[in-house]
Amino acid sequence: MISLLLAYITITLFAMVLLGIYGVATRSNLIKKIIMLNVMGDAINMLFILIGYRLVFPVFPPIYESHITFEEFLSRAVDPVPQALVLTAVVIGMAMNILLTTYAIQFYRLHGTVDARDMAEIVGGEEE
Amino acid sequence: MKRDAVVAFSFLIAFLFIAYAVTARNVLGLGGTELRPLGEFYLSHSFAHEGLTSHSPEVVTAIVWNYRGFDTLFETFVFFLAIMGALSVLRLDGEQLRQARELEATMPHRKMDLIVRATTKLVVVMIIAISASIALHGHLTPGGGFQGGSAMAVAALLLFAAFSKFTLERKGLTLRHTISAYAVGLALILATVLAPVFLYGGKILEINLLPGEAGLFNLDVGEYTAVTFGFLTVFLVLGIPEWVFKNVLRRELND
Repeated sequence: MISLLLAYITITLFAMVLLGIYGVATRSNLIKKIIMLNVMGDAINMLFILIGYRLVFPVFPPIYESHITFEEFLSRAVDPVPQALVLTAVVIGMAMNILLTTYAIQFYRLHGTVDARDMAEIVGGEEE
Repeated sequence: MKRDAVVAFSFLIAFLFIAYAVTARNVLGLGGTELRPLGEFYLSHSFAHEGLTSHSPEVVTAIVWNYRGFDTLFETFVFFLAIMGALSVLRLDGEQLRQARELEATMPHRKMDLIVRATTKLVVVMIIAISASIALHGHLTPGGGFQGGSAMAVAALLLFAAFSKFTLERKGLTLRHTISAYAVGLALILATVLAPVFLYGGKILEINLLPGEAGLFNLDVGEYTAVTFGFLTVFLVLGIPEWVFKNVLRRELND
């Protein structure tokens, strides 16, 4: 039962990653592209944390407490390495978000559109 | 659209393939009951081992602790680049700023409801307390400067929505002040990173030479200040009303 649930979550996350790629590739609205990029990034982070999960019951967070023995802790705690790595990856995602959103907003203010197709026309038109 | 259908269909095929590989063949090794060797090393050594690690019962902290300084430093680099990119795209020169201020002064003054304003005041105080506790505990727990600063920036956003940008500017949070505070945060980080080289003759970022936990604490406080005011700076620039910005920029384009 629990492995079925885990498979279900994993497939959903993969679907989210693919949806993100699909959205970035096919939508021409810049804001929608940014949103889909975020969906993809968050799904990948989530997937990464899920890799560290263990199918034992009851499962512990990687925090050592005094009322459990060390062997029990080792056999029950989840993998802490993915969590530590995602902690840093989240920050990069946020900084990237600021930059992309700012560019989209400024492009809208200057040219009145956030459409990638118009963007190609506008930028190409200035070169001529 | 025929091309869209082809793209969507190929994504569906890819999804079915991945779903088969992950569930039936378990290529990712999900749902195992065994730990990976690296995870087992950290779990067994973070608290019990003598001399190597940080003796934290919270294993994620123990891992991050060992490269906390690098983490903070390069987070700051990335964030600095993002903020500078945003500001250089959104910048207005002196004349344009003056025009924008004139236009803003003509805007009608609107007030939110008393309930909204009173609740916001309460919530903002709580958010500031929580963000400070995240940030000032950053050398002991996961979280730290960046997460605290982000939480603090949310408080500023709430103030933007419930009151207005002008209220904040009247209270002294002008663009010049926030950029100065951002620079102070960055200077604190830089000073902490360079202090071991000049004071103790060590390497860069060798903060264990500094007395006590001063190194990590300073990094956290600096990061907290830098992130809070970096976000605030961008928000203040983005907070200029859309039509004001458009008017000013269109004038520039027409010249």
